[in-house]
Amino acid sequence: MKLKVDKTLVASVALHILVIGWGLVSFATKAFESIPEESVSVDMVSASTLAKAGMKSGNKAEPKPLVEKVAEAKPSDDVVGKISEKAPIVTDTAPPPQPKVEDKPVEKKPDPPKPVAESKPKEEPKQAEKKPDPAKIDPIAEALKKEQKKPPPKPQAQAAAKPPDPAKPKAERVFDQTKIAALLDKRDPTHQAVTGDTLNSNAALGLAKGKAADNSATWGAMFKEQVARCWKKPDNGIDTQRIEAQFDIKLKRDGTLEGMPVAMTSPSGSFQRVFLESGLHAIVECAPYRLPPAFFEEWKWFTPIFDSSEDR
Amino acid sequence: MSRQHDLTNAQFRLDRRQLLSGLAATGLTLSGAHRAFGQASPRVTGESAPTPIAIPNFVAGTPADGEVGAGMAQVITNNLKRSGLFAPIDPAAFIERIADSDKPPQFANWRTISATAVVVGRMTRQPDGRLKAEFRLWDIATQQQVAGNQYVTSPEYWRRIAHIISDRIYEQYTGEKGYFDSRVVFVDESGAAERRVKRLALMDQDGANVRYLTRGADLVLTPRFSPSTQEITYMEFGQGDPKVYLFNIETGQREIVGNFPGMSFSPRFSPDGQRIIMSLQQGGNSNLFVMDLRSKTTTRLTDTPAIDTSPSYSPDGSQICFESDRGGKPQIYVMAATGGPAQRISFSKDDTNGSYSTPVWSPRGDYIAFTKQGGGQFSIGVMKTDGSGERILTSGFHNEGPTFAPNGRVLMFFRDPGGNSGPSLFTVDITGRNELRVPTPGFASDPAWSPLLS
Repeated sequence: MKLKVDKTLVASVALHILVIGWGLVSFATKAFESIPEESVSVDMVSASTLAKAGMKSGNKAEPKPLVEKVAEAKPSDDVVGKISEKAPIVTDTAPPPQPKVEDKPVEKKPDPPKPVAESKPKEEPKQAEKKPDPAKIDPIAEALKKEQKKPPPKPQAQAAAKPPDPAKPKAERVFDQTKIAALLDKRDPTHQAVTGDTLNSNAALGLAKGKAADNSATWGAMFKEQVARCWKKPDNGIDTQRIEAQFDIKLKRDGTLEGMPVAMTSPSGSFQRVFLESGLHAIVECAPYRLPPAFFEEWKWFTPIFDSSEDR
Repeated sequence: MSRQHDLTNAQFRLDRRQLLSGLAATGLTLSGAHRAFGQASPRVTGESAPTPIAIPNFVAGTPADGEVGAGMAQVITNNLKRSGLFAPIDPAAFIERIADSDKPPQFANWRTISATAVVVGRMTRQPDGRLKAEFRLWDIATQQQVAGNQYVTSPEYWRRIAHIISDRIYEQYTGEKGYFDSRVVFVDESGAAERRVKRLALMDQDGANVRYLTRGADLVLTPRFSPSTQEITYMEFGQGDPKVYLFNIETGQREIVGNFPGMSFSPRFSPDGQRIIMSLQQGGNSNLFVMDLRSKTTTRLTDTPAIDTSPSYSPDGSQICFESDRGGKPQIYVMAATGGPAQRISFSKDDTNGSYSTPVWSPRGDYIAFTKQGGGQFSIGVMKTDGSGERILTSGFHNEGPTFAPNGRVLMFFRDPGGNSGPSLFTVDITGRNELRVPTPGFASDPAWSPLLS
């Protein structure tokens, strides 16, 4: 019996095998990585506790500068001149909100200008619109007057923050094919990593408003997820005895192992031995680990537990 | 080829699933991350996954040994893959070609393809005509040789060496003894349904090396291995009543076990191989008797007006499970090996009309496998030796006759779809996963798994 073969079918099958085969090789068994969102520890405070709480006077530490890359310190140079720093606006901080302030002649007693240091940049600077009395010789008024000369006086205070150097034209966003990724970055295509002597991806760490010190929930979950991809948990049939194996791990800053993990539990049987070894394999195989550098002090030495109970 | 693809694909899917469930579990396990001795101890859980292993062709010691070198790798790959606990990696993905089995492999090359271990070996024909097989099992993560051995054998026994090596690898990565170096005796069936020829046949557990032990003139049933694996006891319909026989595999000699009036059937060896337990017919009933093979003395174990049959010893020889219809329908009972009161252990929860038969005690001692009948279905299942924890592994029409692999991890049974077709052999993991057909030349039924040969 002669077999009739459709050439197009053969070609189709061959192409499918090629493509799928290539896919199988190139999308190796390492599964898609996704780093979970940093978790924030939350303290529950009851209303009564809150009421009793006095004023706290924690140290207001200087925020550490954001550092994304270890190199000679070089502050971020924003060539576009995006409004990232706001010039301190010198203004009355707390005038009594009088109605029709704009129309009235200023016979009102002038508020004593508060020190500049006190004026917070984020303060809503509505008062910038206030027209000062030209007769008065007031340094603040002088400054505002200058500003008024600008054609349409934008009510927004940010306008004042425009770079005063007219010689340097503002860099336009130029489409650069090689830096398409930067488009997603929302910063400028020519943005360079902020460098410093130590990595600090979380500039807020250590501040009063920063994260708590125990971040093992965050990086522990990241570790678990990464190591689970390499873990071939042995199958003990239908025996449901729960087994745990704990290891002592020391990691370097780059996420590689400083040495072989040390088992902290000793196996009591052959399956326990295999279970322990499977955990050891997984730890070694999945290194280096990508854990948040900010928490290095916490994950440089830790003791994960491998648990035979099923994921639920 | 396509099977290899399927395998890789399944592996890939499993990893994705693992990741997903890992993500889902993250939220739950966050709370479990506590601090001990100042260090954080994140808890890692996961789903079991087959161990990825690379088994390149064994190196040929002389140019003539290439074929057997490839055969070794093939047999080991097939064994491990069929166990369901290993995922042999498609050789097409291998980066490194093993040229010298004495040198450690380049571990990075094997880590790239996600291998947990790599098996390297060499086959060399000796000047005296025998075959030398060497193998080393390298653990990729620890970069250490975790097993290694060499064997010298007659060239025709190379498959056994492959099975022994497979067992060594299985033990290393599962913590349990293997079962690959074992045989299965079964009833080979050929011819039309109404004139079936049934012959006793013997094969390796993977279906290779089939040998026929009887010529098929008489009907044979229920063959069982002796613990020494050298003898088989079975029932044969001769000229008169069916009788229990003993067959020596090496010599081909057979002898009748005892000379009893009426039928003797359903024989099985005791764990020490010194006795045979069986049913003897007495009128419309049958009872259990045990016969000492050396002294030929026979002892009665049960005395009931019912059919007691299918006895099977616990591995320590202290107890017997058997099938009896003394309560109306066939059920499974357990009693002391010396006889005495028997305890019924099978109780069908879902179907009060369900009956249980062909109990077999696991070599591990933890489970009793059975055939369950009810609701028009024949199921193969396992229960603990006190009757609790019943699990049905497979159901349908018509499954029967489970037998345990030497390590108690896998069951073999036969399935007959009915009609003009005939029965075939299947294996299933005691978890119910990984059901696979065992290749046989024709129809096959009544399998019995031998203990490990070595």
